[in-house]
Amino acid sequence: MSLALIVLLPFIGALFPALMIRAGRSACATTAFVFPLLALVLLLAQAPAVFRGEVLVAAWDWVPALGLQAGFFLDGLGMFFAGLILGIGLLVIVYARFYLAKSDPMGVFYSYLLLFQGAMVGVVLSDNILLLLVFWELTSLSSFLLIGYWKHLPEGRQGARMALTVTGAGGLAMIAGMLILGDIAGSWNLSDILRNKEAIQASPLYVPALVLILAGCFTKSAQFPFHFWLPHAMAAPTPVSAYLHSATMVKAGLFLMARMWPVLAGTTEWFYLVATTGLVTMLVAAGIALFKDDLKGLLAYSTVSHLGLVTMLLGFGTPLAAVAAVFHILNHATFKAALFMNAGIVDHEAGTRDIRRLGGLLQLMPITATLAMVAGASMAGLPPLNGFLSKEMMLHEAVDTRWLGNGWIVAALATLAACFSVAYSFRYIVHVFFGARRDDYPHAPHDPPAGMWLPPALLVVLVVAIGLFPDSVAGPLVAVVARAVTGGAVMDYHLALWHGFTPALGLSAIAVAVGLGALVAYRRVRALWQAGPHPEAKAMFDAFIAGAAALARAVTHGLHNGSLQRYLAFALTAFTLAGFAAFLAAPHAAGTRALLPAHPAAIAAWVLLVGGCALTVMLFRRRVLSVLVVGTVGLIVCLAFIYLSAPDLALTQISVEVATVILILLALYFLPKEGPQSSSVRADPLRHLRDGVLAIVAGIGMAGASWAMLTRDGSSLSSYYLDNSVSGGGGTNVVNVILVDFRGFDTFGEITVLGIAALAIYALLDGALFGRTGRRLGAWSPDRPQSADRHPMIMVVATRVMLPLAMLVGAYIFLRGHNQPGGGFIAALVVSIALIMQYMASGFGWAAQRVKVNYHAMIGLGVLVAAATGIGAMVLDQPFLTSTFGHFHLPLVGEFELASAMAFDTGVFLTVVGAVMLALANLSRMGRWTSPYTINTGAMDVDPRAASGKEQG
Amino acid sequence: MNFVVPDFYPAAAEIFVAVMALVIMLASTFARSVARNLAYLLTQATLIAAAFITIFTMEGEVVHTFSNLFISDLLGDVLKLMIYFSTAIALLYGRGYLADRKIDKPEYYLLALLMTLGMMVMVTANHMLPMYIGLEMMSLALYTMVAFDRDSARSTEAAMKYFVLGALASGLLLYGMSMVYGATGTLEFSGVAQALYNQTANQTVLMFGVVFLVAGICFKLGVVPFHMWVPDVYQGAPTAVTLVIATAPKLAAFAMAVRLLIWALFDIAEEWQMMLMLVAAASIVLGNLAAIAQQNIKRMLAYSGISHMGFMLLGLLAGVVEGDRHFALNAYSSAMFYAISYVIMSLASFGMLILLSRAGFEAENIDDFKGLNKRSSWYALMMLFVMFSMAGVPFFIGFFAKLSVLQAVVAAGYFWLAVLAVVMSVIGAFYYLRVVKVMYFDEPVDSSPIHAAPEVRVMLSANGLAIAALGLAPQALMSLCAFALLRSL
Repeated sequence: MSLALIVLLPFIGALFPALMIRAGRSACATTAFVFPLLALVLLLAQAPAVFRGEVLVAAWDWVPALGLQAGFFLDGLGMFFAGLILGIGLLVIVYARFYLAKSDPMGVFYSYLLLFQGAMVGVVLSDNILLLLVFWELTSLSSFLLIGYWKHLPEGRQGARMALTVTGAGGLAMIAGMLILGDIAGSWNLSDILRNKEAIQASPLYVPALVLILAGCFTKSAQFPFHFWLPHAMAAPTPVSAYLHSATMVKAGLFLMARMWPVLAGTTEWFYLVATTGLVTMLVAAGIALFKDDLKGLLAYSTVSHLGLVTMLLGFGTPLAAVAAVFHILNHATFKAALFMNAGIVDHEAGTRDIRRLGGLLQLMPITATLAMVAGASMAGLPPLNGFLSKEMMLHEAVDTRWLGNGWIVAALATLAACFSVAYSFRYIVHVFFGARRDDYPHAPHDPPAGMWLPPALLVVLVVAIGLFPDSVAGPLVAVVARAVTGGAVMDYHLALWHGFTPALGLSAIAVAVGLGALVAYRRVRALWQAGPHPEAKAMFDAFIAGAAALARAVTHGLHNGSLQRYLAFALTAFTLAGFAAFLAAPHAAGTRALLPAHPAAIAAWVLLVGGCALTVMLFRRRVLSVLVVGTVGLIVCLAFIYLSAPDLALTQISVEVATVILILLALYFLPKEGPQSSSVRADPLRHLRDGVLAIVAGIGMAGASWAMLTRDGSSLSSYYLDNSVSGGGGTNVVNVILVDFRGFDTFGEITVLGIAALAIYALLDGALFGRTGRRLGAWSPDRPQSADRHPMIMVVATRVMLPLAMLVGAYIFLRGHNQPGGGFIAALVVSIALIMQYMASGFGWAAQRVKVNYHAMIGLGVLVAAATGIGAMVLDQPFLTSTFGHFHLPLVGEFELASAMAFDTGVFLTVVGAVMLALANLSRMGRWTSPYTINTGAMDVDPRAASGKEQG
Repeated sequence: MNFVVPDFYPAAAEIFVAVMALVIMLASTFARSVARNLAYLLTQATLIAAAFITIFTMEGEVVHTFSNLFISDLLGDVLKLMIYFSTAIALLYGRGYLADRKIDKPEYYLLALLMTLGMMVMVTANHMLPMYIGLEMMSLALYTMVAFDRDSARSTEAAMKYFVLGALASGLLLYGMSMVYGATGTLEFSGVAQALYNQTANQTVLMFGVVFLVAGICFKLGVVPFHMWVPDVYQGAPTAVTLVIATAPKLAAFAMAVRLLIWALFDIAEEWQMMLMLVAAASIVLGNLAAIAQQNIKRMLAYSGISHMGFMLLGLLAGVVEGDRHFALNAYSSAMFYAISYVIMSLASFGMLILLSRAGFEAENIDDFKGLNKRSSWYALMMLFVMFSMAGVPFFIGFFAKLSVLQAVVAAGYFWLAVLAVVMSVIGAFYYLRVVKVMYFDEPVDSSPIHAAPEVRVMLSANGLAIAALGLAPQALMSLCAFALLRSL
């Protein structure tokens, strides 16, 4: 339980500073100080048990569905890191109290800091790797807030964003690695995973898991080539840099590599990935550090370099190297945090961090200078300080390492890095504190208050103490941590200042000599450096981001340019491909059904049909023409029905065809006669090619599917209807019986929909006559010249003669419908066409005066009649729409059959006539609204009666 | 043929909503003067009452009625509750927005209710026909809602595109259904499953059918390559409508996928899993890549939605591995959890857009979020929650959603897919964080204070906090998903 409390205390503490700031800055800092202190006390209370070699575990279920256990465990490594985080955290809190200016919101700062601290402690104490990931991401986030703390500085914002992007991305990659790792080990608990070395290293997924996890570690610990974010994050306030970027956050990657060392290390992949990365990082960063003029920039790159050193040691994969790594982590944390605070003091008191503007501060700031010299010497690796010890161990290991069979390259490069290290360490000391005093410091420099120099002083004391008495001061700690890292391997080592004359000592000596030499000849070395190429990582990062954005734009513009045609082309391509994929994935031989012989007439009709379709596509822009061609296609379909012995279908088809073509033509009157111009084939051949190919391929697909369908024998429903039509529905016209009887309920629904559609047309057109659209219509004039002879006499006379005949045909078709081709629907269309012809020939004004039928009522009546027929059956205790029929004899007409279905058909008839006529009437009304001509009252423009009357008069 | 009166009880909620839709239509026709408020209040009341009815008629058992056309099970009940819930919140957020633009007509609420009814029918369909009818009912209402701002050319164009592409997809879905019918001789899901189990289905025809069914489902989910409508519609529709499109219909589409693919076609899971795998991978890649370039946040969220739906599919495609069905429950419940999480996050994100919009000003660019922290640090925090959650940052619900589907994918052995998904979500994190960056680090372009009705403020805050709270304790929701699926399978 106390383990969880150690993690939770900083989080709880994070709530208070923001509130306590009202009680003053000291109270605020004190509350921020108390919580980590309590956590540290709790941690130290566990220390004896850990030193005895125990591993403390606390766990409880969190999200069992995901195998998520909120578990913590404490061993040497965890304790070491938690101690570092909490201990240095305390020093930073004290330091920040004096560092932050009055205008900085201190409460928020401490809240963020404690949030970060809690997340870090969580990372190092988590047992469950998923929980570890959660805390890991949380450190990225809270560090984002801390780095961007000075919001007014653009560098702060950019640095924060870059740090978050890089570390967050790495963290997400790590999630994938951890998922794989957990899957191999079969558990999400680190304590279980650490016991599964064989299984993990034998798994084929070891390499992907390793690479992904290392991606997380390398980004977090700023390893090459991800090292570029760390220096930019230095825009943060110095306490943040000291804490995050030297002591804790950047060590999280190292921590994880150390934590995973027992299971992941020891393979060639591990060695070449980790050790090489570490070596390159160490060398490159040390080189860059030497030529940085910003104090914090120098320290930042030196940090990257030292992190590389530790990474390399972990990468060697030997237990001794692991001990050296652990020891160096401790040493680096002490001297580097001290140096960061020191740089902060210089910045705070002298007003600048630019080395070129500093120098000669030794007398002005003696305490600060002393601290800097000791810590800097440790960083340079000079005896008798702790930096020397771990560097010796590093060089010792480097000498023993072979890289691709080469025994000296690692040692040589490590020594070169050490040279740089000596040079920049001394540059920090010499160029800032020595030399002539200047008179142009931005502030008058002096030593800071004790609160600011005491924390680094404490660290410097540690630096010296470990250096002089390594075995007694740090020995037990290093031992217990090393045991945790190596998984209890037996090691023969001892920490001591003097190991005798070893190759490592020789290399150290070379490094010091060359490093000092480089500093003496700094100007020349610097000129040499500046002549070389400088790949600027930030520029590369920005270019990468810009490249990603450009790629994204290209993708977006390529796919989503707003053109529906393109969208449809994509959708159709996808559908077509899917169809062909399915087709190819399954057996697909053609069927075995015998084919019908092709009659020449059928071939001719087929040619006409295909030609008509092709013509429609070609003429689609000239709307009137294309409507006419579509009408022709419909007529051929009608002929096909006749050819295939389906006269009733043919009759339906032809009447529907005629009625719709007339209605469409009427509607076209108000629309542009030509479609909008699209690009010609010549202007955009690729698009036309795309569309053409797509149409042909999709068409072939559909044709193939139809072919497969039609060449197979299959049973269909039709036989049921053919067998039961007479006995069940009392009619021999099966189509009509299906419509009004078998599927009468469907037809009832359909006529209702038809009625609603007609009403909707009415509502739409009626609405268009008022308001804005109405005014626009009123101002509109037909875009085509019109014939002066609007109502030609021949047509008037012809339609007048036709009307009674057509009505009679309608009645005839209606009555015979049940047994012969025909029926209410067809009859209605025939009657409608006859009426439409009257309107067209004689004009709306004349016709409307004579046809005084309320079409709204007609539609309603039709639906009601149909409904009443159905309900009639219910009255007779039969289900809705049960039909009955009987045979009657009328003189003159003869034997005929009367089915209840007939009444239903009447309903159909009324609705269809009403619907068609209502649509027509409204189109005409709109036509009148827009027409420049007067409304006609006579049937003909040139009325022969009026003419003859005049003559008589 | 005897007509048996069906058991109406399990469909009480559907019937209630249908009747209320008619009541609202009549009421708003005759009570013109108060129609706007009346329609809104009645719609909300209907949704709440429907939730109660669903809870009270919940039996925990699988019940069929209406000649097996209708299925009532715990999965359907849970999804229906989520649908009421998200529709009600979407209407609550959108009301002020619509009123500012003078398009809060009673018909809008009526359409929303009909859309809800369509989704309910989809969720409870046990047969291809009601599934299709429900789908069309939902889609037609949505097309109309997109075009609801009739004076906006952009909305009309978006609706037009949505309609044309949607009609095409519906047609193909129908085609697929008819093929499946041809292969198996039934449209009922359990019948199809039975025919597949007996291996009596014609393989060629069946595969054709399945391909087109999957294509239709993918269109409704808006995943690559059937995603073309998503960005244009999200951007073109009034934000209040985008909010509706981005939430409840995703749940309905999930239900459609589950019913069609798992209820009916489970025996050939490995066939459609392959298709979904391609689709999911393409969606995750394209969605994340394209989102980076967007300046318009509605469009950005559209692309992010494409990738989220791809992630959701990861759960659906990880159910069966080489004939082993052990992972099925886990995988499908992770997909369900993902869908629900996405809906919760979508509600909050578009809710924030509505919050920032006002009469005469449309908040739709990322720049409109500049300096939100200065204008209202509380809502900046809420938006931060949403963005982090969508990016899959830990401690938010989106993280667990991603984690659970990834776990399912890894368990199924598709490591490359898991790695690809993670890598792409890394790229995706970038554009979410850009929003966070402009909120916290940029100066506000427009520093007017934020106005919103008190209920919107409360609900949006609750929404944002829920994203965080469910991130801390996702167990309850996860178990609910798993339990609902377990009791329904």
